[in-house]
Amino acid sequence: MDSAAIDTCAPDARSTGLRALVGRPTRRGAARLARWLATLGLRHVDVAVGGEEVQALAGRRPDLVLLDSGLADGRLIARLRAQAGMAEVPVLVIGRFAGARERARILALGATDVIERPTTLAEVAARLRVHVENRSLDRSLREVIRSLQGFHTDTVERMKVARDMQLALLPSESLRGELQRRYGVRLDHHFESSSELGGDLWGARALGPDRFAVFLCDFTGHGVAAALNTFRLHALMARIELPGDDPAAMLEALNGLLAGLLPETQFATMLYAVVDTAADRLTYATAGAPRPLVGTPDGGTVVGESVGRPLGVSPGATYRNREMAFPPGSFLFLFSDALYESRDWEGRPFGYEGVQELLRWSSHDYASHEDDAENVLAVLLERYFAVMPRPLADDLTAIWIGRKRD
Amino acid sequence: MDYTVRDGDGVREVFLKGQLTFEADDDFRKIIGGMEKDRSGAGVPEMVLDMSGLDFIDSAGLGLLVLANNTANRCQVRLKMRGPRGQVREMIEISEFHTLIPCDF
Repeated sequence: MDSAAIDTCAPDARSTGLRALVGRPTRRGAARLARWLATLGLRHVDVAVGGEEVQALAGRRPDLVLLDSGLADGRLIARLRAQAGMAEVPVLVIGRFAGARERARILALGATDVIERPTTLAEVAARLRVHVENRSLDRSLREVIRSLQGFHTDTVERMKVARDMQLALLPSESLRGELQRRYGVRLDHHFESSSELGGDLWGARALGPDRFAVFLCDFTGHGVAAALNTFRLHALMARIELPGDDPAAMLEALNGLLAGLLPETQFATMLYAVVDTAADRLTYATAGAPRPLVGTPDGGTVVGESVGRPLGVSPGATYRNREMAFPPGSFLFLFSDALYESRDWEGRPFGYEGVQELLRWSSHDYASHEDDAENVLAVLLERYFAVMPRPLADDLTAIWIGRKRD
Repeated sequence: MDYTVRDGDGVREVFLKGQLTFEADDDFRKIIGGMEKDRSGAGVPEMVLDMSGLDFIDSAGLGLLVLANNTANRCQVRLKMRGPRGQVREMIEISEFHTLIPCDF
């Protein structure tokens, strides 16, 4: 192949400069043109003589093509455009044209621009520079986009791993099953973060033959920072000997630990409860948590008291135990504040009263002794999300624990 | 959140209006910044946060109250809350914030 390629810098010029392809009917003046083009920043210039060679050298993926009008018949431009990577490359045609109609025809065939002879080097330089600059910009933009896409993919991947780690903090299905069998309860839960990671955590564990504990904790904010705090709490609860059978003492201990760890404006609300199936009693303490709702066997609902400083606000805070009857047929409904603070399509908060009403509707069958096994929580949330737009603005956790009837 | 400030006899009253949430962060930090002493050492001896115009507070809002309380302690400003109602009162009571910052209900 007879081509005059002129390298004006290192062999890998492609990474630093742009490549041009010049198509001419004869070789006359080609070398001079190539040298001149190099001064415009087109560091690698291939000169092709004749249409076939133009097509062959287009395989080197030029960034710009300068065709003599003698070669610019419709077929060559169309074929160039059809070649891999050539659809968007600027193709400039230089020569004498019969008139405006002829120039328009060449543009319609797929040329990017036409340069009318007679012309000066200065004019050609100015016209080429525009296209060269556009091309460089286009290339760097594509690089930026590619790098952003890579970053995004990596982030999504990392967040997925982190989310799986967070879900692994929650009680496993086997633990849930074990608690249900051992204590004659039904335990349903819902955990929904407003973004990839959330600031809620809940847990449950056996304390003895008749007693088990359950808690729900909600750290301020949501997203990565709040999620990191849930890992802190989980580690504390898993690794340190804590008074797990005394809710108030438990909150005091956790508060003392978190008060030294959390930044000034971060804290957690928490409800910690112990269910005693022998004494038919529920003992719980709260640290700024929403009031719990307790269903009685006769179908009524009681709103539990809730008073206590959130965890992490002040080191010496103390908490109070509260007791409620919890015979077979009762249920306990715990939830993070997102349930009543989230807003509907009109921007109105769902409201705590709304939650009470929703619970009354959803637990109707449970109270009427018809079906112990019904998933009240699923029914409740289905009704809830029928009127509430997703995603919620905050993380939502809900736990429903029902004691089976004897 | 909107707010107006009224400086009286040794007391700065700040009337909060609307929602004390994360969106109020900038404004509320300006209010908190008002507790810092100026160069001559002069400052506000007492600040009252009037909450009767607030209709919503969330945990981020409570976080701002913690920040205000810590700043008040550091700057020796007597900080008080006044007149929370509805959901705001409920949140303050549930979180026992009235035991942290004295509150006239």
